[in-house]
Amino acid sequence: MPLGTYKEALSARSTEKKILDVSQDGGIVSALLCYALDEGIIEGAVVAGTPDDDWRPVPTVVTSADEVIAAAGTKYSMSPTLSALKAATRQYGLEKVGVVATPCQTQGLRKAQAYPFARFVADKIKLIIGIYCMENFPMASLDTFATAKLGFDSLQDATKMDIGKGKFWLTKDGEDSGLAIKETHGYEQAGCNICQDYVCEWADVSTGSVGSPDGWSTVLTRTDDGDSIFKGAVAAGLIETKPMDDVKPGLPLLEKLAKGKKDKNTAERERRAKMGVKIPAIY
Amino acid sequence: MKDRVVIKPTSRQEGHAELVMEVDDEGIVTKGMYFSITPVRGLEKMVLNKAPETAPVLCQRICGVCPIPHTLASAEAMDMALGIEIPTAAKLLRKATAAAHGINSAAIHQFLVAPDIAKGDDFVKAVDSVSEIRKTVQYVVDMCAGEGIHPADIRVGGMARNITPFTKERLIERMTALKPKLEAHVEFIKNLVLEAGLPKDLGVVNQPLMAMDATYGTNEFDMDKFSEVLPEAWYDDPEIGKEACSVIPLWEGTNVETGPRARMEKFQGFKDKGVVAQHVARADEMLKNYDACLEALDAIDTSAPANVSYDKRGTGELGFGVIEGPRGTDVHMAQVKDGKTQFYSAIVPTTWNIPTMGPATEGFHHELGPHVIRAYDPCLSCATHVMVVDDEDKSILKNEMVRI
Repeated sequence: MPLGTYKEALSARSTEKKILDVSQDGGIVSALLCYALDEGIIEGAVVAGTPDDDWRPVPTVVTSADEVIAAAGTKYSMSPTLSALKAATRQYGLEKVGVVATPCQTQGLRKAQAYPFARFVADKIKLIIGIYCMENFPMASLDTFATAKLGFDSLQDATKMDIGKGKFWLTKDGEDSGLAIKETHGYEQAGCNICQDYVCEWADVSTGSVGSPDGWSTVLTRTDDGDSIFKGAVAAGLIETKPMDDVKPGLPLLEKLAKGKKDKNTAERERRAKMGVKIPAIY
Repeated sequence: MKDRVVIKPTSRQEGHAELVMEVDDEGIVTKGMYFSITPVRGLEKMVLNKAPETAPVLCQRICGVCPIPHTLASAEAMDMALGIEIPTAAKLLRKATAAAHGINSAAIHQFLVAPDIAKGDDFVKAVDSVSEIRKTVQYVVDMCAGEGIHPADIRVGGMARNITPFTKERLIERMTALKPKLEAHVEFIKNLVLEAGLPKDLGVVNQPLMAMDATYGTNEFDMDKFSEVLPEAWYDDPEIGKEACSVIPLWEGTNVETGPRARMEKFQGFKDKGVVAQHVARADEMLKNYDACLEALDAIDTSAPANVSYDKRGTGELGFGVIEGPRGTDVHMAQVKDGKTQFYSAIVPTTWNIPTMGPATEGFHHELGPHVIRAYDPCLSCATHVMVVDDEDKSILKNEMVRI
């Protein structure tokens, strides 16, 4: 099953304007974090914080709705988010922690929970919100897109960054410049090419734009905790939903992309294995 | 003919040691000799010619029973050797950490001696109470210093980061909730000790006291008063001298007593001596550490910086970290030049006590010997430091390793 185990698939978006104003798509990550913080389900969360002008994501511990909203939006370079988890469970004193994580980070977290390596860290994780992820770019790749491919003087000139409609977009002086996604191939980090997980199959709840119309997100609730937090946020009026069958392009596109990642990266795994390269196990 | 009673290894303590007691016809100890048989591990040598930050990381691995004092002593020694003045918030975090650990370590010791002083339900109650106390104080160490066992966040130049206001409030709240439990625990342990039937004068010694501070510690250490002798020169028995794995540190030419009782006598007016007094002083000191911990937590400005940047080249001067650990005065000294550690030495609590503990068994039946030893809460892992090299030609004068 290309989407992993899930309880329910829905198209959803935040009902709060202040979230939608800053969110990438439907604001689901921010809405869920705000709800979980309000309800005391978590005391704080570890997220990829908003970068400075240099676009480098900063792992950040957030403990209030304002901080959640300040950190909203997708980051297009790798954020070593889990590096902030230790501080969250120590000097920040958090005993119930949420994490917004990519599929690879989620696999790491689940392993940390399954094996008692991280003393008094992994057991404090109460909510993993997974984000769909096809691949991720090192900072040097983003610099290359901006300067060598789009003709910017510097990546720092860009005021907005987005991926959509088959292109990687940078905005400068109010003007959008697009780079075809196929132009970005080869610039992703090498590990992304053997990853099998597009839809964050091990999260409590996963979300991303694919499958839903603009301004909405596709949500997959996966665990009892993820399901109850999502339902709670919906019941509290913080999130509105539509059945996936009622929206375009719907689940088939998500399934297609998820399966596409598995197929393509399985081929890459086999290619590397033939060369004698050690390949990580698939979960 | 003199009989010898040998206990090897002595039990319910950290590390390996041997207690040799010469006894008369009644079984009364006429001469007691206690010495470490834990092999040398050479951590002080491992840190040489490495960056100064390496020392606290490696030296905390001296032992898992009191890693906090070793890390603090190491970091303090390095701070001084590099000429660093750490921020107030960092000092307070270190003090809170040290005090919380002091309570934790005393509780562990009470767990180790529980079989000597408590039976049946009392034993179960004592063990439960120890666990309960440890949970809260270890939480404080976790939050301030990163880890309860090997504290990753005590750094040269301060602490990795300050705690948040939320954490400060939470720690004060938990510690406040602990107070009645801790008071009941101390009372309970003291009663068990007082009613255990141990002779009042057991283990009484009249050695000078080694205690540099009431709680945390200092950066002052008078090298002129300090000397050390090899075990061969200290123990009458050449076999024991050969087997012993620690040098004998002396203060103003004589062996000393260090630990909670020494501190309580020197700084708090505690008067009694001997085994029972040591247990009572250790229990009473838990409350002193409680106050010290809460006072430090309360004073922390959570918005202040917890570390400073520094020049790691070093002053070339000897820096001292003198920490009052649960078992006594823990002295680390370091010298850094050109960014590398040139000299490193640790004189740790049990090393101070080793020459005092053997004679403390004298005058009573040998069966009481282990009680005397345990009252010092010896911890041999860190106390083993024989690696003697001739200063002139660097030849190794003594390198026997004990096979256990």
